Amino acid sequence: MKVLIIGNGVAGVTCALHLRQLDAKADIAIVSGETPHFFSRTALMYAYMNHMNRRDLEPYERGVWKQQRIELIQAWVKELKPGAAIRDDGREIPWDRLVIASGSTPNRFAWKGIDKVQDGLVNFVSMQDLDACERLTPSTRRAAVVGGGLIGVELVECLRHFGREVVFLVREPWYWPAALGAEEAAFVTEHLRAHGVDVHLGEELDEILTDSAGRVRGLRVKSGGEISCEMLGVCAGVRPAADWLKQTTLGVACGRGVIVNDRFETNIPQVWACGDVAEIHRPGQPPLIEQIWYSAKRQGAAAARNVAGIPANYEPPLFFNSSKFFDIEYTTVGDVMRLPAGTPTIYRRLPDRPVSQRIAHDGGRVLGFNMLGSRWNHEILERWILERRSPEFVLEHLEAAQFDVEFGRAPLRRMTGESLPLKKAGAP
Amino acid sequence: MKPMTAAEWLEHSNQNRGAVAWLLAAALTGFYLVLYFTEWLNPAAKALGLDGKWTLYGLLYTIAIIAGGIHVMRKYRRNRYQLVRTAVVIFVQLTFAFSIPQLLKFLGKPELYFSYLWPLKIDYLDPRNFHHYPLPFVIYSIVGSFIAVPVLTLLYGKRWYCSWVCGCGGLANTFGEPWRHLSAKSGLAWRIEKITIHAVLVIAVAITSLWFASAVLPEHQPLARAGDLTRQWYGLLVVSMLSGVAGVGLYPIGGTRVWCRFFCPMAALLGLIQKLGRFRIRVKRDMCISCGLCTKYCEMGIDVRAYAQSNRGFTRASCVGCGLCAEVCPRGVLRLENVSRRDPQELTLQSFLDESWKGGYSSPAWRE
Ligand SMILES: Cc1cc2nc3c(=O)[nH]c(=O)nc-3n(C[C@H](O)[C@H](O)[C@H](O)COP(=O)(O)OP(=O)(O)OC[C@H]3O[C@@H](n4cnc5c(N)ncnc54)[C@H](O)[C@@H]3O)c2cc1C
Ligand code: SF4
Repeated sequence: MKVLIIGNGVAGVTCALHLRQLDAKADIAIVSGETPHFFSRTALMYAYMNHMNRRDLEPYERGVWKQQRIELIQAWVKELKPGAAIRDDGREIPWDRLVIASGSTPNRFAWKGIDKVQDGLVNFVSMQDLDACERLTPSTRRAAVVGGGLIGVELVECLRHFGREVVFLVREPWYWPAALGAEEAAFVTEHLRAHGVDVHLGEELDEILTDSAGRVRGLRVKSGGEISCEMLGVCAGVRPAADWLKQTTLGVACGRGVIVNDRFETNIPQVWACGDVAEIHRPGQPPLIEQIWYSAKRQGAAAARNVAGIPANYEPPLFFNSSKFFDIEYTTVGDVMRLPAGTPTIYRRLPDRPVSQRIAHDGGRVLGFNMLGSRWNHEILERWILERRSPEFVLEHLEAAQFDVEFGRAPLRRMTGESLPLKKAGAP
Repeated sequence: MKPMTAAEWLEHSNQNRGAVAWLLAAALTGFYLVLYFTEWLNPAAKALGLDGKWTLYGLLYTIAIIAGGIHVMRKYRRNRYQLVRTAVVIFVQLTFAFSIPQLLKFLGKPELYFSYLWPLKIDYLDPRNFHHYPLPFVIYSIVGSFIAVPVLTLLYGKRWYCSWVCGCGGLANTFGEPWRHLSAKSGLAWRIEKITIHAVLVIAVAITSLWFASAVLPEHQPLARAGDLTRQWYGLLVVSMLSGVAGVGLYPIGGTRVWCRFFCPMAALLGLIQKLGRFRIRVKRDMCISCGLCTKYCEMGIDVRAYAQSNRGFTRASCVGCGLCAEVCPRGVLRLENVSRRDPQELTLQSFLDESWKGGYSSPAWRE
């Protein structure tokens, strides 16, 4: 049995490694265009800032692939036919079973002037993006970054690391309303400003200005002003990398991503899809596209079982994640900002440090947590939600979920708090 | 090309085995060769009003730990574990490893270091020395090595010694900070380490046993002579060459804990005890993004990411509990803990011998 996996991201690689555990004999190959080896996309910023070498981004020693008998092919797949994938150089790779794990691709919008841009515009998703960022940084005095999410703030941090002036354009009224409440966003923004970032809230890119050679020289914003900059980072979200599939003859059904059921089966027999590219349809539920590291990993592992013929229905966990804005760490459980506006929350803060906790509830039971500035054990927070604990119980036992370093627990007793109904961007 | 000013180039070259690093390594190694094998430093010591090269060395060592320690405390000012730990390292160096021995010497007493114990200082358990040492120190050494060390290590892991008290670790974690990430992370380094570190421990135990045997059986003089001869070679090879010349001289090339990781008999012993004790690194489930910062900044060359990304808490014999993996982790995945629960450590011979999952792969990422 020849299994071909397209994409050596975490979904594809986890699928391959799990498949090897389930089936010692299968021929497993991974074809991927971006890099010869699996690397940690989440750590691009650390390579940019020289905290890591590129080789350090590889989560497995290179010997693992040989030891696990997983063939690695570096090439872009341009065409899929029944039983064969066609590489960009025209060569064919045969398959009996196919797993599509082509990940995400950055969003771009039809901004005025974008057609004239030859250089100076970057995304921050691929290794090639990192190459471009590194090439452009020396000739950049000021950079603008569009898009108020996690990747945007990571790119901003890198540019500040090299002492570049940075203008950060956030379209929404506060930073990252999909994840942060207005109160948290306010002090994260304050923190960014303290790090020298020129944050513009509620501001949108209107036109990109270029010089005669096509290099970005500035931009005009919707409110009318002009900002000069030599580099423009576009971090306005990602979408499933499925466009290329729509041009192939295999006929894999796509919506926003590759449409699969909860066993990662596509409409074509013997073809599966998992990771950022998968759009999962479950009976009675809205389509699900998960674009985070652990979901790609879990999907890859679950897909491997189905590919190996062991049925496994995928069920996403209660949402949790963590990230970091310069020095402020962030842990969330329960997708707080998806709750309706007006949901009661307990919001507490340390007066003198950027440390806050938000506990969303419905009066009787806790629904979610948004914690900034200190470390939390999401496994315990998750359990409290699943056990339908009351806000009083949670507040009383909160210490048990702290995960700060020894001697460094955030002082819960000094937190001052209030009850706040959840505000949402765009809602009154 | 990355943007670089002159200062950035210097730093980069220093921290990535560039020309600056090689020059520094040559200078440090040269210094240790001069220190151990010549008397050239004596005039300099005299000129400073010190009684000899070893006092000068102690002074320089202490200054390096204080200066490096201040740098580290500023760098990790948000991390209380690092602040407390570094403050203790500086305190121990200043008192037990420098002032107190100097004071004892000044008072005409033997120059004793309370911060070093057998098997790091094997001479402290040479029965023939028991006559010159004050009785309380002999008791301190024996109780320290055979009761306090194991008990503290069972309770808190080897970190209480290796990264809170010991001067070798102290220098690595302060002065050595710029080079901590250079430790070898390969599976090969790990296979070599397992052999060398335990070999040195066996030799240290053998020498001590010979000494004791000859004390108990005074008619067996060859035993004592064999012990002394081995001790001479041990002193030259292990103490001078490995802990000094290679251990510190090669900081800018091989990373900071080469001695602690590959050769130190104390670290070997503490590591074995640590495997039985409470200390572990806890890993939060499914939160690791495999970025690799923890592995990169592990001075002992442990592939922390290998454990974190497969959701395994772990206790590695070599882990000195410096806590930097938890510090650099951008997702707060790791936590140093002392807990009495037995999991996640399985106590099998295999887990003692082969603690590395590096080549292999297993991940509980998928659970039923
Ligand atoms: C800068 C950045 C930071 C992030 N930080 C976090 C974080 O902190 N936490 C978190 O949870 N998530 C984070 N993410 C998201 C996370 O990285 C993704 O969810 C995850 O990488 C998805 O894995 P994947 O295997 O599905 O796809 P990908 O990692 O995108 O891998 C897909 C691979 O397939 C290749 N490919 C695509 N099409 C073809 C083709 N036609 N032929 C050959 N090869 C092809 C691509 O080149 C790519 O290498 C971050 C993402 C970015 C970009
Ligand atoms: S530093 Fe943290 S997130 Fe990065 S690999 Fe290590 S445990 Fe995982």
